[in-house]
Amino acid sequence: MRCWRFKMKRKFVPYLEGSLSPGGAKRLEKHMLDCESCRAMLARLRAGHAFAQQLPHLGLEAARRGPEFEAMMHDLGEMATPRRAWIRVWENWLYASATPRVVQGLLALVLALLALVVVSNRRILFGERQSIAALSNALDLSGFHSLSILDLSTNTRPHIATEGYVRDVRVDEEEGTLHFKLVEIPHGSGPFVVCEIMNPTGMSLPREGSRVRVYGVARYDGQPGREWHEVNPVLNIAVLKQ
Amino acid sequence: MDSLRALALPVDAPQEQETEVAPLPRGDEEAFQEIYELYRERIWALVVYSIGDSLQAQDILQAIFLKVFRGLRSFKRQSSFFTWIYRIALNECRNHQRRRRARHVPLEAIIGSRDEIDPKAIPNHREIREVLLQNAVRQLTYKMQDVVVLKYLQGLSYEEMSRVLGCSPGTVASRLNRALGELEERLRPFRRFL
Repeated sequence: MRCWRFKMKRKFVPYLEGSLSPGGAKRLEKHMLDCESCRAMLARLRAGHAFAQQLPHLGLEAARRGPEFEAMMHDLGEMATPRRAWIRVWENWLYASATPRVVQGLLALVLALLALVVVSNRRILFGERQSIAALSNALDLSGFHSLSILDLSTNTRPHIATEGYVRDVRVDEEEGTLHFKLVEIPHGSGPFVVCEIMNPTGMSLPREGSRVRVYGVARYDGQPGREWHEVNPVLNIAVLKQ
Repeated sequence: MDSLRALALPVDAPQEQETEVAPLPRGDEEAFQEIYELYRERIWALVVYSIGDSLQAQDILQAIFLKVFRGLRSFKRQSSFFTWIYRIALNECRNHQRRRRARHVPLEAIIGSRDEIDPKAIPNHREIREVLLQNAVRQLTYKMQDVVVLKYLQGLSYEEMSRVLGCSPGTVASRLNRALGELEERLRPFRRFL
């Protein structure tokens, strides 16, 4: 018949080990006298306990693969610290890259990358001067619509060429641009057009009072206080009279 | 290093001492080495009984210590250090067993059927005994394996086992009873070798 004294059964192993208190052992033994099921179970556990006590302690020494395993385990410390692991990788890479063939290859790669950087950034590296010069050379100036400053109010063409005298040349340091007024009459008030050079370093700048022919894009600045015509950006300037 | 020793106390160290630990010296290679030296044999016994194959067990041992070392920084001290490291080891063994479902090898397949057994024909008695015992343990369920290994090879108390396994001491005792009962049943036919 099955015994339901679960708490008692949990004390079987401590009893077999002799670690149960004398009082606990006595109670258990007393229960055994009357419980056949527990006696059978204890007999099985005694045998099982004896087997388990014989379990061999399998030492790592016996199973070890050799020095490489120990070295691997030693490396774990380094693998676990990212900085050290990184340094180790770097050191290995440096060591590996010390061979002449690798150095040559790396040098060739660096030069190729440098050339690529120069080509792709030549505008930044050498300034706009060349590109503007190239642009003006490439521009077909004859295609620009010639008109007087007065006619700008009725102009609908984007690319224009207009002539006048240079006045009020000033540099906008914040924007890095240069502005001047192109007027019909050298002195005194009269119609004008504001010209803006986007990159003053890439173009020969007009002198104050000189007569020039300006090529560029016609715009109208409608902001309150301005409301004037502009040539912005100026694409080319031809000096007619210094 | 002293703080590490305090942290990585052996399993039989009093619990009160383990809670009084100074911050772990982070990234200390010597500290890692010391933890490894302190625990490798215990963890090895756990792993080799769970896995069986010693070559695979070495890989798993390495994975366990890698996890331990990497996890040291995040070790929250909510449990004692040995409980934490044992749990990592047990989980790693379970994961491995799930990935490669352990093939059941009946004891008879190792030594022959009961009728075929002739003790005189077996030259190395000790070796056979060890193989029989190991295989009998490996044929237990994972939960039973754990209690047997923790109890008989690691020498943990019921309280310690309950912390490692995350169950009550009563459950540990019940599992141990079932495990020993099964061991007896499996090894009974081979009693003469044991």
